[in-house]
Amino acid sequence: MTRQKYLFCYLMVAPAILITLALGVYPMIYSLWMSFVEYDLLRIQQFGTPFVGLENYAAVFADPRFLQTLSSTIIFTALSVTGVLAFGLILSQLLNASYRGRTAMRMLVCVPWFVPPAVASAIWMWLLNTERSPITQMLQGMGLIDGNIRYLTDPTTWGPFSIPMLSIVAVRVWNGLPFAVIFLLAALQSIPRSLYEAAEVDGASMLQKFWYVTLPMLRPMLAILATLLIIGGFGSFEINYIMTGGGPQNLTNVMAVYSYQQAYSFFRFDLASTASGVILILTGFISVFYLRSQFKKVA
Amino acid sequence: MEFALNATARRKALRGAMAGLSVAALMSANVLGANAQDITFWAQPQGDLLAYQDLFDNLTSQFRDQTGINVSVEVINWSVAFNTWLTVAQGGAAPDCADMYWLHAFVGIGGGKYGPRPLTDYLDQWPTLDQDFYEGALTDVRFNNEFYGIPWRVDIRPLIYRTDLLAEAGIDHPPQTWDEIVEDGLKLTQRDANGNVSRWGFAPGTNNAAQVMLPYYWQAGGQIMSDDGKTATIDNEAMRTALKFLQDLVHVHKIASPEMFESSNDAVANFTGGQVAMIGSMGSGIGEQLARDYPEMEGKWDFAINPEGPENRDSYSGGGYWGVLQGSQNVEACVEWIKFLSTPENMQVISETTGTASPRRAVMESPYWTDADWKKQVAETLNYGHTSQHPTSVWTALASPEPGAVLYDLVYNTVIIGNDIDAEIVQAQTRLQAELDRANAR
Repeated sequence: MTRQKYLFCYLMVAPAILITLALGVYPMIYSLWMSFVEYDLLRIQQFGTPFVGLENYAAVFADPRFLQTLSSTIIFTALSVTGVLAFGLILSQLLNASYRGRTAMRMLVCVPWFVPPAVASAIWMWLLNTERSPITQMLQGMGLIDGNIRYLTDPTTWGPFSIPMLSIVAVRVWNGLPFAVIFLLAALQSIPRSLYEAAEVDGASMLQKFWYVTLPMLRPMLAILATLLIIGGFGSFEINYIMTGGGPQNLTNVMAVYSYQQAYSFFRFDLASTASGVILILTGFISVFYLRSQFKKVA
Repeated sequence: MEFALNATARRKALRGAMAGLSVAALMSANVLGANAQDITFWAQPQGDLLAYQDLFDNLTSQFRDQTGINVSVEVINWSVAFNTWLTVAQGGAAPDCADMYWLHAFVGIGGGKYGPRPLTDYLDQWPTLDQDFYEGALTDVRFNNEFYGIPWRVDIRPLIYRTDLLAEAGIDHPPQTWDEIVEDGLKLTQRDANGNVSRWGFAPGTNNAAQVMLPYYWQAGGQIMSDDGKTATIDNEAMRTALKFLQDLVHVHKIASPEMFESSNDAVANFTGGQVAMIGSMGSGIGEQLARDYPEMEGKWDFAINPEGPENRDSYSGGGYWGVLQGSQNVEACVEWIKFLSTPENMQVISETTGTASPRRAVMESPYWTDADWKKQVAETLNYGHTSQHPTSVWTALASPEPGAVLYDLVYNTVIIGNDIDAEIVQAQTRLQAELDRANAR
């Protein structure tokens, strides 16, 4: 490539790099800096922002509510990523098969993706309201249950699980499923037919074809999806905040909600940045592991 | 020659006249320029947005005609209002004056450099302020012995009840005391054959834990902190009484929902749907909403002043005010504008257009606020208004409806979880004092 061509290429990507630096990297670094200083809005005019080292990290890790939030975030992410990938695999297989009405099915599966999380939360809050839930009424009408189900408010727990947490996960899976299905469908369609034909010649059953052909061929896409979904899960905010506000009894609180509460309810931007810093570290680890595995493959 | 002289004289006279006119024109332009002033005013919408914008178009036009001052109004959507004012209080771009709220928090954050500006020097512009306005509303605009502006709307919270459901249960008047709340609540609570509650008799308030607790605590004679905002004062008998009353509603009498503080609890939907018969502390704004959006509910609901507790029948009172921002170069013009807005006539129009209760007594005594029983009850409740603002900048954080806020945790842990009241109060008192110290550190 000539020097001019290099220059042209750099010029073309420069705006994207500048925007990423200004709107992505700078706020991230600034937020990290805030986690090492005192940044209390009620004291900032008098005391400024003195450096406090790791004090904010010590403070949030000494807060039982943060530890509960950290554990809830991990559970929420694990359940929702597993749910999205499992249902995504099933649905993408279904949508890849040949039958009449396949296009309509593909459209239908995509519908939840068009619904912004805030709107999805409002819709599901109504569907899951204790006294007025149409789902409960339907189940009662079918004689399957007697009592109301407190989908978003029942504080009963089984280990780390609770009905509100499972309800929130279900909404997250519903909202995020089309994203996974579209990626997996594209990956499925790129698998050469010849591999399935060879497996058929060898007498492989449908399950064996899935296990020995489909799954290995989908693995790179599944890894990308899992990484993206885990990162999204750790930063999840809207559904948890709108549907439960972290309740009941802090059972559905996640770190992004904790961070928001510290900043905008309690004016502690330092503690909010610290919680965000923990999210950054966790998602950073996941990304590094993923990238390393990709580089190893290339090598 | 005579003609020529005359002609010359005429030309000179003409030049002189032209010069004189030019000077006069320039002078008058300067005078006009000195009077023509632009001020910026930010406000959050209330009621119907189009009607609200029309209202301010009319008001600014009248004000310009009267004073020559141009007011540029920018409407801040409520969804971004808090972040906007938080930014302004930290030195972000500020208007000259505005419709604001949470005075104490934003003054504290601004630290005297940004945010709301005291208007104590201009107090004489409203010589009969104390007689004209309800006392509770005026408390909202005073902080650290300074006066910050004119209250223009009140979020007063009377009791709201379903007249049809009370009549069905054989109850001929809304509860007048805490005991009557329990008596009526028991009659009004209904369960189906499976034991599911189909109607709760009583909801103490909407889903904000601290705001639900406050009126009952005041009614029991308590105050959250000392008058100077330095000492926490919740470890007392009044708090025990209030929390015990609320706890018993859920756990002993079982007439109030244990879900009352959850985000998914929708008090208005429960009330209109008949899933709750009485709400003990409900923003009066719902009156206008029910009258406008729920015609099928006409005659089925009413307001009443809050039932009396052990000490009084105080009602929650919040609101908004017009004030000036630090850094404004147009303080006098802003004061003129606020003075104009706060005339009885304009406050009447504003109250009618927005449907919000007015802190000005004359407005609440006008035909608009006396043509329906529920409106009279709103006006009556204003006499019992206890400000929800407290003399500390950390109040908003203390009373936030979020887990982790001192009062939220106190109320949730006792009323919903059923924890020991004494132990929770002791812990909350310590946490509250630590927060007050944080706000008062200098």
